[in-house]
Order: sequence, then C-alpha cells, then structure tokens
Amino acid sequence: MLRYILGRLGRAMITLFLVLSIVFLLMRLLPVDGYFEGRTDTMSETVKNNILKELGLLDPWYKQLYNFWRKLLLEGDLGKSIVMRKGVPCVDVIWPKAKTSFQFGIIALGIQMLIGYPLGVLMARSKGKFVDTLGNAYVLLINALPAAVYFLAIQLYLSTLLKLPMLFDPLDWKSRILPIICLSLGGIASNAMWMRRYMVDQMNMDYIRLARAKGMTSSQVAFRHVMRNAFIPMAQSLPTSLLFTISGSLYVESLFSIPGMGGLLIQSIQRQDNTMVQAMVLLYSVISVTGLLLGDIMMMICDPRIKLVKKGDSR
Amino acid sequence: MEDYIIEHTPDYNNPVLTVEDLVVKFNLRGQVLTAVRGISLELYKGESLAIVGESGSGKSVFTKTFMGLLDNNGWIDNGHIYYHDYDLTTFKKEKDWTKIRGQRIAMVFQDPMTSLNPLKTVGKQIQEAFTLHNKVSKAEAKARTLELLADVGIPEPEKRYKQYPHEFSGGMRQRVVIAIAMACVPEILICDEPTTALDVTIQAQILDLLKKLQAKYGLTVIYITHDLGVVANVADRIAVMYAGDIVEIGTCDEVFYDPKHPYTWALLSSLPQLGIKGEDLYSIQGTPPNLFQHIQGDAFAPRNPQALKVDFVARPPYFEVTPTHKARTWLLDPRAPKIDPPPHLKNIMNLNRGGDLSNG
Repeated sequence: MLRYILGRLGRAMITLFLVLSIVFLLMRLLPVDGYFEGRTDTMSETVKNNILKELGLLDPWYKQLYNFWRKLLLEGDLGKSIVMRKGVPCVDVIWPKAKTSFQFGIIALGIQMLIGYPLGVLMARSKGKFVDTLGNAYVLLINALPAAVYFLAIQLYLSTLLKLPMLFDPLDWKSRILPIICLSLGGIASNAMWMRRYMVDQMNMDYIRLARAKGMTSSQVAFRHVMRNAFIPMAQSLPTSLLFTISGSLYVESLFSIPGMGGLLIQSIQRQDNTMVQAMVLLYSVISVTGLLLGDIMMMICDPRIKLVKKGDSR
Repeated sequence: MEDYIIEHTPDYNNPVLTVEDLVVKFNLRGQVLTAVRGISLELYKGESLAIVGESGSGKSVFTKTFMGLLDNNGWIDNGHIYYHDYDLTTFKKEKDWTKIRGQRIAMVFQDPMTSLNPLKTVGKQIQEAFTLHNKVSKAEAKARTLELLADVGIPEPEKRYKQYPHEFSGGMRQRVVIAIAMACVPEILICDEPTTALDVTIQAQILDLLKKLQAKYGLTVIYITHDLGVVANVADRIAVMYAGDIVEIGTCDEVFYDPKHPYTWALLSSLPQLGIKGEDLYSIQGTPPNLFQHIQGDAFAPRNPQALKVDFVARPPYFEVTPTHKARTWLLDPRAPKIDPPPHLKNIMNLNRGGDLSNG
C-alpha cells in the first residue's frame, strides 16, 4: 500500500514535469507581438528587442526551460506576472483569488451533497411515484436549460423577490447567497441523479432480495445495504471536486463580479502572461493528480474488494 | 464436522402450511399474466418437498408468496395460504411479514456469487439475520454467528467471520447463505435452485449439508429445481409444475416409477440417462403456453401427441391414484382409453436411484 502510493507519487511527478514543460514550450510558440500589449506599431525594433530580452525570451528554448525548472525547484520561485499585474509574484496574484473562489465553492459543494444525495435517496425509494417524478423533472430542467438562462433569472428575479444584492460585496454576507445558489443547482441535480441511479441499480441486486428475505424492512435495507454500496462509484470523484472548488466558475463569478479564479487562466493565456500561465497550470495539474490519488485511496477505504497494490506486488 | 443421523422423519399427519386454490397474477406492460393458476397444496412437518418444472412454470413465484416477496407488479388474486394461525394472503404491511421472513420461513437463493452484500463481512451479514429477530448483546450475537458458521461446515469460523464474500469460493458462499437462512432456525426452509450455480462435486456437498441440517433441526424443506437428479437425492415428495399448476404430486417413488401425467412422462423421458447411444436425446416438442391468455383444458395438451379431445375442452380435476399420489389428467378417468407411458420409462427402474440419477 505505501509502496503503491509512493509509486503513484513518482509517476505523478513525471506527469507534472511533462505537462508543465509542454505548456511552457507551447507558450513560447505564440507570436511575440503579444508581449508588446498592442503597441506593436509604435514601438521601435530596439525597444521590442529590449522587452523580449528582459523577459528572457531571446534565449534558446532549452535554456529558457532549464532556467524555469532551476528557479522553480531550487528557489521555489514561480516568477512574477509579466502582463496582468506586472511585477507582482504570481503566487500573490493567485492566492487571494483562489481563496475567494474556494469560499464559495466549498459551501456550494456542501450544499450539493447535503441536498443532492438525500434527494437521490428519496427519489430511488419512491421510484415511479410523485417525489421521483418531481425530482426527475428538476434534474431534466437543470440539465436541459443552459446555465446562463437560469443564472440570469436568479440574478434578476430572485434578487428582487428576496431583496438580496445583485452583485458581490465582500462586506455583505447576504451578497453571497445568490452566487452560492447558482453554484449549487447543477451539482444538486447531478448528485441526485447519480445517487438515484446507483441506488436503483443496487436495489435490483440479488443480495437485496436476500436481505429482504432475512426479514428486514425496506427502509432497513435501504439504509444498511443499499446506500453505502450506491455511494462507492461516486466516492472516487469527491476529492477532485473538493480540490477544484478553488478554480471557481467563470460564469457565476463574472455575473456577480466576484474577484475569483474563474477565467483567470483564460485571460492569462490571451494576454500571454507566460509566468501566470505556468503557475496556474502547475496548480491545476497538482490538484488533478492529487485528486485522483486521493480518490483511489477513498475507494479503497470504502470498498474492501479494492486493494491498492503495485503491479507485481505480492498480496 | 460432527456426524449426526442423516435421516429425517416427515410427519404426514401434521401439515405446517396449507395452500388453497392460489392464483397469482402479474401486470406486465399493461397486460395481465397469470403465473399461478389455482394451486392447492399441503406441506407436512419435517418433509422435503421438491417442486420441479421447466423455467417459467411458476415454481419460484409460487414459493415467493409464502414470504411476501413477489415483485411489485405481482399480486395474489385468489386463494389462501394458511400458516399456523395466520392466513399469509391477508398480510399487507411489511410489519406483518417481518415476523415470518427469516424467522419462521427462510430462503436460500440460487446464485451464491451475488446473494451476499460484497461490502459487508460475512460475519456481519449472518449476525444481522440473527439480531433482527433476537434482542441480544453483541457478544452473544457473535457467539451465535460463530456457532452457525461451524454448523454449516465452514472451517476456522473466527477467521472467516471477519472476511468479505469475495474471499470465499462459490460453495463456501452458499454455505454462508444457508447459515443466514438458518440464523433463527426457521420452521420452513425454501431452497430456490440451491445448487444450480455450483459445480457437481460442490452440489453434492451442499445437498448433504441441507439434509443434515434438516435432520438436526427438524426443518421442513421445499426444493425448487429443474434438476431431477437433485430431486431423486433429497425429496420425500415431488410436485410437478406446468404452466402455473401442479399437474402431478406424489412420493418420490410414485412419481419416478409410476408417473401418470403425460407431462411427467415427457419430463422423465428427457433424462439424459435414458438416452440410447447414437440416438438424439428426447426433447419435449413445442413451447409452454402463453400465460397472458386464458388456458382452456389441460395446459399440456397442445404439446402432447397423444392428447385426448377432452384435454382441449375441459380442465382435468385431480384423480387420486393412491392416498399420496394424484394427477391432473383425463387419462385417469375411468372412461379414458388406456394409454401407456413410454416404454423406455421402465428403464428408470434399472437406474440406481439417487446414484446414477444425481450424476446427470
């Protein structure tokens, strides 16, 4: 088990190295005009050259790559933003934004689980009856409707209806309510849908028949046997969704003008802020890789049939 | 495992469960299907009754009504099931059934590979069956579970208690399923094709175990099977089912050596042991009747080459051959022409009962 995790971490390191290096090089393939912030026409060649030299972009690509890794590994330095907020270390740009997104994301995730899973259980237990139909209608509506439509509706109508602020204000906790509702709706629907589906799958299994033949009531069966078994397929994705709450939602954050992470990566790429892109790619890759590993460990804890062993390890 | 006497003693004067004119229907895609068409049966204390019949003849559905385990789209349309002071057909609420299920009547299912919850230890699953009906301390429950594990022939109960189903072989899992059924020492044990999913050597062991448990605890056992070898091995009485009805019932000897119903003849003729080298094995022509439609006369008549005219018109009543043997066929009517069973059925006599048959 420990060997397995160490092996996984080793491979994760290689993955991270490759991802980051490839992104690094791809950024170098972009036309250099982007570094002059739209003033290409008015700048003289010398000025342009100076800017590029200052950014270290005139060195051959392998030297640039080497320098990047040397700085990152030896000094833990991701560099300073070169366009977005010139001269500010990338970490300082990202950190407060990530914190804001996380605050929204974690509450939304909690609500998605607290409402979504019980809703799914309720729907599965009343399969084909009113509650189930109602829940299915909700799931269908949320999935069929473009998020933009109901986000806007919530912002415009719910704000007047409930007398809540339309835009985010860090000093007013009430201004967080609507964005959190927006962030939660989709997750509630998908949690409920999957929980219902897996529970219905489990309820048709032979061992459920045996449990009923033992003399258990249907609610005893649901709580002692079905729920845990239905939850397992969903356990794996939990750590990843938890970690990715810091990435924020582009649409919700721009709609309510929340200074979060949503869209930061896209902006950085558009404006060719190389160091910012590198920093964020590193962050997101680390999150993905750790999320997957934690997901596998979570599966192992929940399901006794799963043993984490490296290929060739004896059991 | 300790040796105890394998013989059990049926008490034919003491019925434990009486079924009267039971009709079970299902609603399937808007159509109504009649799965059980008016069965009456007495189950005697301590006996083992085998219900045989082809797939879809309603043998599983019939026994499921004893435990209220019909699927949601099925219902009892008519009839009574008397068990002690209860009429099981009047049970509506889950609370009524939990008194019966697992405690008085228990069931062993066909496929041990899927009958256990993969995420719970074997010990917990057996213990659960016991603690549901008995208020005891954890230590007592565990002690009882270990006792059960030993009782069904699982070595090293202490170690096995903590293991998960995937750490057990098929035969061992079936022993666990049997331990679950035996947890509260039920009066009636229904075994729904208990050996179908197992290989032949394990089959014999499981049947042996069931016989021992039956003798030790005085169980009344119902075997549902389409394997006549299993029947020959374990049954005191045989009920032959066809299209939701019992067409012939009698002691094991009576049904095997003196069958009266043409369907029983056909069923026995299909035994591979009766095949003649170089010739095709016997198979019953045609298909079972459509249970969505009303069945006129004898359900087997369309597949019976020697069917009488009356077979297509009127449903035969039960004719008594001996006090323990009766069959639903017009052939037993005094006015019927004499039609003899296929001559090769005599060969069953030559097969060593329980030996050759069960090796099929």
